[in-house]
Amino acid sequence: MNEITNKMRKIAGEILQKGEASVVIGWEKGTFWYLSPPAFIDKVEDVDRLVWDDFCHNNLSKYLVDFKYKEEKVAIFVKGCDSRAFNRLLQDKQIEREKVILIGIPCPGLKDQDQAKTLGKEGDIPKAEKCLECKYPNPLVYDYYLGEKEELDEVAATKEAPNYSDVEAIEAMSPDERYEFWTKQYDRCIRCYACRNVCPACNCRECVFDQTCVGWIGKANNSSENQFFALTRAMHVAGRCIECGECERACPMDIPIMLLNKKIIKDINELFGEYDAGIDVDSKLPLGHFDKSDPEEFM
Amino acid sequence: MKRVGVFICHCGTNIAQAVDCEKVAQNAQAFPGVAFSTDYKYMCAEPGQDLIKKAISEHRLDRVVVASCSPRMHEPTFRKCLERAGLNPYLLEMANIREHCAWVHPDDKERATLKATELVRMAVAKVIQNEPLDRSTIPITKRALVIGGGIAGIQAALDIANAGHLVDIVEKEPSIGGRMAQIDKTFPTLDCSACILTPKMVEVANHPNVRLITYSEVEKVEGYVGNFEVTIRQKARSVDLSACTGCGLCTEKCPTKVPSEFEMEMMNRKAIYTPFPQAIPNKPVIDRENCRYFKTGKCGVCQKLCPAQAVDFTQEDQLVTERYGAIVVATGFDLFDDSVYGEYGYGRYKDVITGLHFERLVNASGPTMGKIKRPSDGQEPKNVVFIKCVGSRDEAKGKAYCSKTCCMYTAKHATLVREKIKDSNVYVFYMDVRTPGKGYEEFYTRTTDQYGAKYLRGRVSKIYEKGGKLIVRGEDTLLGRQIEIEADMVVLATAMVAKENAAELAQMIGFSYDQDNFYTEAHPKLAPVETHTAGVFLAGACQGPKDIPDSVAQASAAAVKVCGLLSKERMETEPTISIVNEAICAGCGMCVTVCPYKAIELKFIQERVDGKVINRRVASVNSGLCQGCGACTVACRSAALNLKHFTNEQILAEVDALCL
Repeated sequence: MNEITNKMRKIAGEILQKGEASVVIGWEKGTFWYLSPPAFIDKVEDVDRLVWDDFCHNNLSKYLVDFKYKEEKVAIFVKGCDSRAFNRLLQDKQIEREKVILIGIPCPGLKDQDQAKTLGKEGDIPKAEKCLECKYPNPLVYDYYLGEKEELDEVAATKEAPNYSDVEAIEAMSPDERYEFWTKQYDRCIRCYACRNVCPACNCRECVFDQTCVGWIGKANNSSENQFFALTRAMHVAGRCIECGECERACPMDIPIMLLNKKIIKDINELFGEYDAGIDVDSKLPLGHFDKSDPEEFM
Repeated sequence: MKRVGVFICHCGTNIAQAVDCEKVAQNAQAFPGVAFSTDYKYMCAEPGQDLIKKAISEHRLDRVVVASCSPRMHEPTFRKCLERAGLNPYLLEMANIREHCAWVHPDDKERATLKATELVRMAVAKVIQNEPLDRSTIPITKRALVIGGGIAGIQAALDIANAGHLVDIVEKEPSIGGRMAQIDKTFPTLDCSACILTPKMVEVANHPNVRLITYSEVEKVEGYVGNFEVTIRQKARSVDLSACTGCGLCTEKCPTKVPSEFEMEMMNRKAIYTPFPQAIPNKPVIDRENCRYFKTGKCGVCQKLCPAQAVDFTQEDQLVTERYGAIVVATGFDLFDDSVYGEYGYGRYKDVITGLHFERLVNASGPTMGKIKRPSDGQEPKNVVFIKCVGSRDEAKGKAYCSKTCCMYTAKHATLVREKIKDSNVYVFYMDVRTPGKGYEEFYTRTTDQYGAKYLRGRVSKIYEKGGKLIVRGEDTLLGRQIEIEADMVVLATAMVAKENAAELAQMIGFSYDQDNFYTEAHPKLAPVETHTAGVFLAGACQGPKDIPDSVAQASAAAVKVCGLLSKERMETEPTISIVNEAICAGCGMCVTVCPYKAIELKFIQERVDGKVINRRVASVNSGLCQGCGACTVACRSAALNLKHFTNEQILAEVDALCL
């Protein structure tokens, strides 16, 4: 890891020195040893803040939206999931490819922050759950590349089909059981919107949950409003979720948000054919285009 | 505070028998905003409308809710009523308490009344949010397109052209004429089909307002009523129509023989050919799939011999784009594939033929010069068996519907056999004889009484060959016994089915079709030639099995609809279309790809951000193309798209009225 950290600092320094980009987005060490939050480096002397370790969870592509109207280029480090998010943002026309310098980092899978907190620095910290099922550990799009990617490709190739056993368990429940399950989960929601704020698919100029005048959703924190929020958020990222799992990681109330996302991904795969978001920039969104052969069962 | 008037309609007893209308009117009085509420027997009738107008002025109403039937029929009626009373027509809301309530809950008056009350409550909540909307007008392209040059297409084009409008006919085949050109005689008068069709073909071809675009197909249809943009593929004819004199030398000398489609493959044509002697344009076309020159690169006899040097092997398909104000679809029908009935041996026995084969056999310009000879050995058949409903009225193997024309054309065929072969026997197996049409029953009676055709009620179970004869085994259900007939020829009254690519064309233009791929009219009784897509009309058998008189009548009806449209300089457009809130729009373009009408595109607007001027991408709705379907409003996550008259706020008000 140290080797990659050194390379990161070197390349970031070069990019800033030459003025190729006005800012480099990476990760730095946070308040605790198991946190590596995003870092926005715009001075050469700050490049040593950059790190690459087991906790660089944040999907950095999300922050490109903030630089949408800047004239200068932005450089950004991308793992596999960050690169999928980048492709998604391109598809959503939120960024322009030529305005971003992508520096790819092959990702062997990151470690679980919560476990790290309990087990301590010396403990045998397991991988984060979202990384266990990752099909794309290598960046799919990049201008520069740090590290070896071949090895990881082999690892990814041996991965089994996506594991939907958790979704299937929910599907097996009776509607009443299911309702009870989700009510219990979302009754905890404090509507901090961290899941939305961290999500690269959430790139609206004005989120519907902030449009208080229209009356989509009330401000009250109760089951009804929380569930409306949960379902609406899930449907708004449907077909565009790249499974980086950031929503669930950011949730302070431990709500299994990815379970909802995965259910929708599974449904889309079954109804419209296998589709992985953020792989092919030219792909048509399964829920985002009109097709003459669309079934018209209701007509 | 808005002042809403609520008008509950009994629809005679349609609603009143299941819903306590008086009670609903009473309940509505308590809803917020309601200033007046009443019920009446027929709200759509003149006294009903007068009641609304009077109430608007007496109670100073500024919003109206009519609880009655589906808005599909009477929304325009009540909108006009509001207009006459001085209100904007879009300040009307309808609650459908007939289809959505009375008709689906006929047995529980108490709860049906409750549901009707709730439906009215929602409508009141919505109408308070309604905003006055103004219709705009757009110019109309004064030219019509007729797709299909059969009798229906020809008639529609002639009627439109005679009314003084320009019209183009696009015909897939090298000649206009369609199925009617293949038919020998027409029931019930036994006029020669060609004798009544060809004058019309000539008339339409020579009409100054008509342009024939033969050997061409519609490839793409964009735009909307008044302004369709149609791309037409003109297939390479390989013959220069302007140079060709139609002398026929090329056809005569062409060495390649191909079974003629027009003659139902009972005769050969050449690779360079005119489909039939009376074809229009009466100029040949090269069938490139079979032409020796195109297959081997050698030959070219036609080109060498052509005195006008009209043969051009280098011609290519051409795509032309034209604008039209209205479209008449008259693409006709195909025949059911009889080989599905293995027991009849169609395709296996040469002398088991379809009705259309028979038409050619009996036609003076057909393969047998009008002498009825059976295909296998050219002998004159003495015993001819007709089997009706082959493919029709058979849910198991064929189509559920009745093909409508077969009873009559079989009677015609029976008559013709008896007329031409004096010592012949004619047997007709039938399920029912259906002859609803002027002079039809009389014709049928003549067939049995004067011409002596023997009608046997029952189905044929098997046809097999024995000693050069076809043994037709069936049941006579009236006598309750098995019968076997030694037939020389069997004619199947084959079902009419939709064209093979019927669904494709409907999808291209954007209107609906039924489970059998026949095109769906807007209303089976009151809008039989309209489609649900404005400006697109139907004529002939593409809408369902039809005989010639019905096709012609429908074609003229469609023509009148087209003329009504083209007689205006401009037309009004519905204001119920999508609008973009540019402040919120993130420019992601999801609305662009979900729009079925290609009505949305992305544009750039200039804006100041952090003291700098930037170009920001936002969605933009073409008000002419938008049909108000609302797909974009659903796709837009941040609700930047909103459908006027069905705005997010209005729908939320309805939901809140029901749920809170």
